Amino acid sequence: MLELQALSKHFGGVHAVDDLSLTVNRGEIFGLIGPNGSGKSTTVNLICGVLPVTAGTISFEGHDITSAQPHRAVAAGLARTFQNIRLFSHLTVWQNLWVAQGRTDGHESSRFVKRWLAGDSTARRSVSDLIAFAGLSDRGDEYAGNLAFGEQRRLELARALATGPKLLLLDEPAAGMNLEEVRELDERLRQLVERGITILLVEHVMELVMGVTDRIAVLNFGRKIAEGTPAEIQNDEAVQEAYLGSSNKA
Amino acid sequence: MDLVDFVQSITDGLLFGATYALIGIGFTMIFGVMHKINLAYAATSIAGAYVSWAVGTLLPLPALVTFVVAAIGGGIVGYLVYLCCFKFIPVTSPLATLLGTVGMLILIDEIIVHETNGMPQPYPALFDDVYFEIGEFYGIRGDLLFIFFLSLIATAILLYILYRTKLGIATRAVAQQPVAAQLCGISIERTNASTFVITGLLGGLAGAMIGASVGVLSPLLTLPITIKGLIVTVIGGLGSIPGAIIAGLLVGAFENFFQALRGVTERDMYVMLLLFAFLTFRPGGIFSKTTSRD
Repeated sequence: MLELQALSKHFGGVHAVDDLSLTVNRGEIFGLIGPNGSGKSTTVNLICGVLPVTAGTISFEGHDITSAQPHRAVAAGLARTFQNIRLFSHLTVWQNLWVAQGRTDGHESSRFVKRWLAGDSTARRSVSDLIAFAGLSDRGDEYAGNLAFGEQRRLELARALATGPKLLLLDEPAAGMNLEEVRELDERLRQLVERGITILLVEHVMELVMGVTDRIAVLNFGRKIAEGTPAEIQNDEAVQEAYLGSSNKA
Repeated sequence: MDLVDFVQSITDGLLFGATYALIGIGFTMIFGVMHKINLAYAATSIAGAYVSWAVGTLLPLPALVTFVVAAIGGGIVGYLVYLCCFKFIPVTSPLATLLGTVGMLILIDEIIVHETNGMPQPYPALFDDVYFEIGEFYGIRGDLLFIFFLSLIATAILLYILYRTKLGIATRAVAQQPVAAQLCGISIERTNASTFVITGLLGGLAGAMIGASVGVLSPLLTLPITIKGLIVTVIGGLGSIPGAIIAGLLVGAFENFFQALRGVTERDMYVMLLLFAFLTFRPGGIFSKTTSRD
């Protein structure tokens, strides 16, 4: 479904992502892990077009999206959440979801006028579905900025879903969560896969990654050092060295 | 100066200040969405008024239609400014777009000067023969009351678009979180372009109001209106639409009061002093924004 080929991103002399190739298959939860600064977030930014690629290609469902602008990548079926939450904090919960749903760009504009005149009732229904999914049913008219941290995370996930994605990129969705919230998130991700959404999960919280993913790739200094099932990764020597070994050498 | 003159000058100023409010909204909206200053905005506004004047010389228009044509003219010029100064210049070079708009300001000015030989042109007013007398000395000019209500309506429509329609909410989403907005499928380029068209419509209307209440259009209007617009934007708080409205009315009233008190040659000095006071005591403006974006 998603294929990265020899993907590289250089910031000056720093090789944030270096010759990275990987394939995410339809219907799986693919984990991307690695120590801090190993290039995980950069990879996500490259995939969704926020950062320009230095070299290599990205293809999504057979289409080349290497240099696609972010809103084009979204139109192709990609969506993402952010490591540091980026909600529209001066819009309400309802508006955050509504604006993400049905794109306002391109040739959609004429359809948008029709829907707007028609009262947009289908859109309204699925926005309330999303609000229910996020567990925010009684908070639809609250400003997103006033929500608690956990609620904001759930809203951001719902907003990504509002775009109707086939592939969801989650950048550390469990950061700052307690164990119970992590379990809830685990449950939510499984629900999404049942709905036919593929997930690329970037995460530090090992309880989540090892439990929920089908396959995992490990990055270190922008390079892929291992790939396999959670069990294989846990027993991989190169991975253990990347996480633990540096402190022995230092 | 007695009390009647005092109240009269402030009333007239408040009503005329509605045009400043519209110009301020335009500056502040473009800044809110793009975090860039468009110095050609007041020129866009005057250009819109000139478009309606030019159309009016070809075929006679009812005065009300003149206002509509001015708004459309402003929208078109606004889009042209976007194409020339913003669309193809990378966001990472803020100085390039700023100087681009200065160039555009001068260009629009020059085109107007060449086409009219630098002569002021008569502009039709609406309801200038109406005068509401209140009591023995006090009264309200019909034309000023008309432009005041027209700008109220324009502002109400703008706020409706910004707060109730998907286009408006997408625009506010871009202003708050440009990257996340793109990842909700919103095209930043399209939003920027629509912001320039919408503010251009507003500006054209404001230009027509200025022409109508002064009675003439002159290329000498662009620079003072640019400066007033920037002052209103700064006093209101960069990016704040309510701020621009209040500051526009405030500057209009302030200016007219001092014009009555000290004469037209001195009035701008006091407006500058007002700006100076704000920069010293409340540099963020009336509604200073505390939220940051990345």
